Formats: sequence, C-alpha cells, structure tokens
Amino acid sequence: MRQSRLTLTLLYGGLTVFSLLWLVPVMTAFMTSIRPLDEIRGGWWNFDNATFTFDNYVRAWDQGLASFVANSFIITLGSVALTVATGALATYAFVHLSFRFKRLWFFLLITTMIVPIQLILIPLLPWFRTLGLDQGAWQFVGIVLVHTGFGAGWAVFMLSSFFRAVPKEMLEAGQIDGASHWDQFRRLVLPLALPGIVSFAIIDFIFVWNDLLLALTLLQREFQPIQVGLANLQSPHLAQQDLVSAGAILAILPPLVLFSALNRYYVRGLFAGGTKG
Amino acid sequence: MERRDRAHVMSGRALERPDRESRLAYAFVFPLLLAFVFFYLWPAFNTLAGSLFRWGLLNPWSIAQPADWDFVGLQNYVDTLTSARFWNAAINTGIWLVIFPILVTVVSLVLSIRIWQTPRAGATFRTVFILPMTISLAAAGVIWTFMYDPDFGVLTRFVEWAGIDFAIDWGPIRFQTSQWLSDPGIIDLGFSQIRLVNLSLIVAGFWAFTGFGVITFTAGLTAVSSELVEAAQVDGATTRQVIRNVLIPQLKGPMTVVATISVIFALRTFDVVWVITQGGPAQDSEVLAVLLWKQAFVFLDSPQAGLATAVAIIMSAVLIVGAWPYLRGLTREKT
Repeated sequence: MRQSRLTLTLLYGGLTVFSLLWLVPVMTAFMTSIRPLDEIRGGWWNFDNATFTFDNYVRAWDQGLASFVANSFIITLGSVALTVATGALATYAFVHLSFRFKRLWFFLLITTMIVPIQLILIPLLPWFRTLGLDQGAWQFVGIVLVHTGFGAGWAVFMLSSFFRAVPKEMLEAGQIDGASHWDQFRRLVLPLALPGIVSFAIIDFIFVWNDLLLALTLLQREFQPIQVGLANLQSPHLAQQDLVSAGAILAILPPLVLFSALNRYYVRGLFAGGTKG
Repeated sequence: MERRDRAHVMSGRALERPDRESRLAYAFVFPLLLAFVFFYLWPAFNTLAGSLFRWGLLNPWSIAQPADWDFVGLQNYVDTLTSARFWNAAINTGIWLVIFPILVTVVSLVLSIRIWQTPRAGATFRTVFILPMTISLAAAGVIWTFMYDPDFGVLTRFVEWAGIDFAIDWGPIRFQTSQWLSDPGIIDLGFSQIRLVNLSLIVAGFWAFTGFGVITFTAGLTAVSSELVEAAQVDGATTRQVIRNVLIPQLKGPMTVVATISVIFALRTFDVVWVITQGGPAQDSEVLAVLLWKQAFVFLDSPQAGLATAVAIIMSAVLIVGAWPYLRGLTREKT
C-alpha cells in the first residue's frame, strides 16, 4: 500500500507507543519479581540505588511453588498427550470415514467450545468420589480425563481442518495398494498433518496449563497446579507482592517459552480456528 | 461413495459395507468418546437432573440413591430468578457482555489494520499484542492487581504524577481515580446500579484476550487480495476509503468470530474476577460464574448446590441458544 512519509511516521509512532503500553503489565510483574519488596514500594520504575536479585524466586520456590510447578507439568503433559492421541484417532474417522450418528456426535463435541465449564463442574466432585478418583495421585488421572473430555471438541474441530488437507488422491492410492485405514492413519495422515497436530498440542498445552477453575475445584492441596498456588498466594491482606510476582512469572514462563519457540505453529493453529468459523 | 466405487473397480477389492465402515470408525472414535461421555456428557446430564433437587455437596444428589432425593421441581429456577443476589450477578455479567466484546473487537480490529498498513515490522507488533494470550488469566489477574495497587500501582502513580487525580459526583454518576478496585464509583440507573469496579476487571480481561482478535483479523487481512487494494488506489481512493470500503467489508466473517468468542469469554469469566476481587467489594463485581462457585463450594453446610446447578444450566442454555446457528453451521460444514 502506498502511503506518505508522514502517515508512516504517525503509524509507526502510534504502534510503538501502544506496544510499549501493552508491555507495561508484564514489565511490572517482572521488575517486581527481581527486586526486594521495600524498593518496589517506591515504584518499580524508580531505579535509584536499584538492586536486582533472584531472592524472591528462591523463597517462592522454597515455600512450595516447586511442587505446584511439578503438578502443573504432570497434569498438562498428561492431558495434552491423551487429548492429542485420542483426538487424532477420532478426527481420522470424522474426516475420512462415515458412521452412524456422526453429525450428532460432532454437534455434541463442539458444544464444549461454547458452554461454560461450570456445566459439568458441580457433579464432578461426587462423581470423582464414586469412581475413586479423589484419592491421592488418582486425582491426576481424574483431572486429565476431564481435560480430555472437555478438550475433545477443540481437538476434533481444529485437527479436522488439518486432516482434510491430506489429498484424497493419496488416500485412494493407498487403498489400491491394500493399506488398511489404520495403516493410512499412521503412515500417511499423521506425518502429513503433523504441523497441525503440533499447533493443536501447543494450544492445548497453554489451555490446560492456564486452567484455574477445574484444578481449584477438583484437587486437594498437594496435587494442585501453579495457577491455584498463585491464586492462593494472592491476597489483598498480605503484603507479599515479591513472592506473588515471582510465582506469576513462573506460571507464565512455560507457555511463553513454548510460544516463542513455536510461535508460527501457535498462530497457525488459531488461524485455522479463526478463519474456518 | 463415488470415491470408494472407483477404488473398488480399480483394485477389485470388495466394497466396504457401510456397517462395517461404521464399526471401524467407532474403533477410531471410541477412546475419545469414552472420556467425552464419562467426563462431559454424564456430568452435564447430572447437572441438568440435579437442578430439579435440593442438595448440597456434603450430601450430593445421586441418581443411584432415590431414597435420598429431595425433589423440588423447578423451585431452584424460581428461587434463582427471584433472588436479588442472582440479579446482581446477572447485571455484572451483563456489563461484561456489553463492554468486553465491543472493546476487544474494536481495538483488535483497529490494531490489526494499522499493523497491516506497515510495510515492515508487522510481525513484531503483532507478537506484542498476541503475547498476553499465553498468560494465564490467574497470572493476568495478579499482574493487574499490581497495576491497580493503591500505593505503588503504575496507574495510581501515573494519575498522581500527571495531576489527573480527581473525583466527580454528578447526581447519578460518581467516579474517582486511584481507587480502581475498592471504590471507583457507580452509575445509578434508577432501577439498578452499574458498579465501575467491573470495568477495572474488564480491562484486565481485555488486555489478556485482545491477541485473539489480532490473530483472527490478521488471518482475514491476509486473505484480502492486494490487487483489489492497488486497484482502488489507482482509482484515487484514499487510505481511509480503502480501509472503509475495501478492507472492512472483507472482515465481516472474522468480526463475527471475534465478537462471538468474546461474548462466550465474557459470560464464562471467572479467573480474573476470582483472583483480583473474589467478587468484592461486597458483591459489587460478583459475576454469575463466581456466584455459582460460591453457592456450590463455599457454603458447603447449606444445601445450595441445587441452586448452583440451576445457575449453570441457565448460563449454558443462554450460550447454546445464542450460538445455535453457529454450532449448526459448523456441524454442517465439517461433517
């Protein structure tokens, strides 16, 4: 697009200012986390005699954040693995096979993208008790299954646009050679749809990692993930912004690293969700 | 069908009978449906059925124990719809439903178009706005609590520094800076009040969610053909005319998507409110999701879980009815 020099200057100037403003909240959390509490009281943007330290992180880690982070990884990796594996299998059937009640199942599946999770939240607690999923490490199994059930709609919805992109001619050629659907799924569709599967896995990772409500409701103290730890640490009556900010940065970090490393996949996945709507 | 027939002729392999294919397909979908049925459909059904009974989580309603049932019919719905606390939460959720989608859609649309106009560095700007999307809403809540802190929050200090620290009190409108979370003011509509603390929370959600709009609109903008834009410019159209007459009409689809998803986000919102105010001060920022959670999980000794399930059903019904055309369209398109 052709634009005058003045327009371009205004454009870049405006966007730069807005971008910087957009980064202020993250900067606030970061600067608060690497400075002692009494310095922060003067404002984190005040750099007179500033000291930078990782002490807040060490103390937060020692106060139990370590186990919250470990729980987060167990829950998230388990959920993503199960959702991606079962979701990819199911998507193959939804895209390349016909079966009874296919439309009904698909409709029910994508309602998970619309309804609030509160729809299933309340009976889950007694249901876990009935199934014995409220005991010890079984709680991990329980919450992983809920994340899989509630993520099923997104999985089939997003993966189907990538599975559809596998050329029909290739599948036909495979069938002529006598390949079973299982072979075709494994040897043809999976490798070709891999970028799409990675995109979905990243989005699902971020979604599960960031969940507060399910974990807060279903898990006992020593099995809770970092988001719950953070929500509990945060209290208007306690002046511990140093610990809370360190916790917040730790909670942000894994998705952020994943996002920066695989930015393209993440955006592509959301593109697929956004444009196909 | 045609595809399979052709394969059949060419390969001489027996045509797969539909019921055989159906059975095979079920083997593929079975593992996913297992989790889906047991941990989504079944609990959802229990919520629906449980909303017709009086119960609390200490003594939960169970389909297997008819002896313990305390059937109340639609009483939970009647009680909910006539309770002042429900309507308080409904109004707060209503504020979210109106303000949040408009804020997200308009700002992300403007940002996306402005970024699209830049010949270079577009990806960098985009990354900045998409970045908060990866941050959990719990962490976003924590971060915005810092921003609004009455002693050392950036916003509070900025207002002081810039000398725009003021309070106004014009009849029904009361507003003051620097008490963002405790008492920013109200707008009195006569029949009800709009508590401005909700706006403080909406800003936090908006900051965290705008990246979704930027991604969606950028996807839409890349689909606009550059020939169309150039042709318009050759014909003497100004930048403003190009945006209004060429770009905006092409972005109708993405606009619907962003608005729809923001509405869903607004109605479901829990994390930000829970972390920043827990619904307070008093119940000034209590939204439906927070009310429901307190009813079910905080007042454990009083049997309010039945009421909470009624709230859950009302919220879900609103969303499913509202999104019905969207859901139908997706199903038709994808299967």
